[in-house]
Amino acid sequence: MSAGKKTKPKKSAARQRAAQGVLTDALAEAAWGEADAALAQALADFDEAETAEKKGARKDALERLGQALSRAARKRGLSRLGDLDERVEFDAEAHDLNAPVAKTPKSVRIQARGVTRGGEVLIKPRVAPADKKKRS
Amino acid sequence: MSDWTLCIDFGTAYSKAAVAPTGAWSRFDPATVRPLMLSAEGQNAFLLDSAVFVDEDRVLFGRVALNEADAQADQKRAALRSFKTLLSVSDLDRALNTNAPLTIDPHRVFQMRDLIVLYLAYLLASIDRAIVADPSLAQGATFSRRYAAPAWRSGDSAGMHDVVVRLFGEAEAFRAIVGKRILSPEGLSLRTISDALPKAMEQAEALEMGLIYEATAAAAYTSVGLENAGSHMIVVDMGAGTTDIAALARLGPRTIELPEARVTLKQAGDFIDRIIANRVLESAKWAKRDEERSELWSVLMRQMADIKEAIMADGRATLRNQGRSITLAFKEIEKDEDFRDFYKSLRESYDHALAVVRDDARARGRSEVQAIAVGGGAATPFIQDLIRRKMESTRPRVIPRPATPDWAHAREFRGNLAPVFPQLAIAIGGALAPDSMLAARTGFSRPANDRSGTPAERD
Repeated sequence: MSAGKKTKPKKSAARQRAAQGVLTDALAEAAWGEADAALAQALADFDEAETAEKKGARKDALERLGQALSRAARKRGLSRLGDLDERVEFDAEAHDLNAPVAKTPKSVRIQARGVTRGGEVLIKPRVAPADKKKRS
Repeated sequence: MSDWTLCIDFGTAYSKAAVAPTGAWSRFDPATVRPLMLSAEGQNAFLLDSAVFVDEDRVLFGRVALNEADAQADQKRAALRSFKTLLSVSDLDRALNTNAPLTIDPHRVFQMRDLIVLYLAYLLASIDRAIVADPSLAQGATFSRRYAAPAWRSGDSAGMHDVVVRLFGEAEAFRAIVGKRILSPEGLSLRTISDALPKAMEQAEALEMGLIYEATAAAAYTSVGLENAGSHMIVVDMGAGTTDIAALARLGPRTIELPEARVTLKQAGDFIDRIIANRVLESAKWAKRDEERSELWSVLMRQMADIKEAIMADGRATLRNQGRSITLAFKEIEKDEDFRDFYKSLRESYDHALAVVRDDARARGRSEVQAIAVGGGAATPFIQDLIRRKMESTRPRVIPRPATPDWAHAREFRGNLAPVFPQLAIAIGGALAPDSMLAARTGFSRPANDRSGTPAERD
């Protein structure tokens, strides 16, 4: 094969990579556009939660903060993993233990849900040993 | 034979287009799917506003048309939108030959047909620009074209295909005459249009274009690349104006629709919006005066997409109005009598369609039916519950598929395709589907980026 012929596939591959990069950037911008608006909302709601003098106002601001963060996450394709307070069998690979323990627990409760994107776990669910008396 | 398949999703609010290599169906590689960047404005380059605005001496298109319509709203002026709704009427020829209303065309010079042809010319020019700008497509690639449409209720979509292709042919001829000027933010002058449009109507050629039903496009993006995708599928499509249920069966290389399963309900996203707004108004006891209530109504309508999304995804939404917080839970919507009636009809319609598709699968000795939800309402919990319900009899099994297929999370997209996939899904599915899935085909072939016959640019 001549040298000239060898360079063609390289050029083609480089062009394909460049094209993929342009497409991915445009997709990212499209997805981020709406997420940006939700994040801006979240920042404003966070300030309101911090400066609220009344308990009710703080609760409302926190509610809206959670809502704005959830919206930003959805626009970026993130989803929650597990349910709050769900009792599950402890798996050291799948869970982050959120409390110091002398002995590995068998059963745990989810204190904070995990976060995934397209099957990839970005944050594992945070768990604490389940109270033996409390049954779900 | 063409190198690529191009599918146009001529949407109510936005138009979208995507291409996939010819043969992608049998040799699927997610990285080769290319949604086209149709729009030069706005953050989402993949969505082209479906809008035409007739100004004093010009016609504007896309985002510019909407902005100008907003600016002149107090003069009872409006942009023409929802072309798709017009194309779904039973007497299409008559609808196309109707004069545009005064709010849309104050000069009284355009019929609806003219405005649709002008918009299609703008859409085709935008597609061409996107293809030229894409390094992997630009160099002499050839395209076979198709467009996606619902299996229209009041008429026969496949029967209307010739009329729609004729419109595309006139649009292509018009675009060839006016060149790139149609993409200018200044739009086109009325004089240019009055010179070029009659010529375009005379010179129009029947393009080769396929028609793919939206439900079939959904089946294509759901099934592509799956070894055991199953032959039968039920599709629930909840859009803004209607909820459509359709059933498909793949028989050898062909895909057919089972027409006896097709159901359309007139309640959908807009109907849910009204229920939410009415519930919020009921609970906002402080808003007693008419002006307070109408102000709250407009706040609700402006924020409705976010409010509805939060209610459906998180079970409740909180919004602010005049320093007060209002929370609405999905449970309250479930109590609404109109919603309950709608949900009952939806369940009955789904059960009817599912029975049809399962009977067909059973009769053909197939063991599975795939269930998929598409459209703006695809992720709503009650639609997801519907497609995930357990059946009394176990065979054929009903397999619910995710609204966004796993392949949209492919590493090549670095997590960026999946979030926007629902908006682009039909165009992508339509580009991936093999020819055997088309509902109709017409005319002769020419590459989508063929510029032969395009005159040199003027002004």
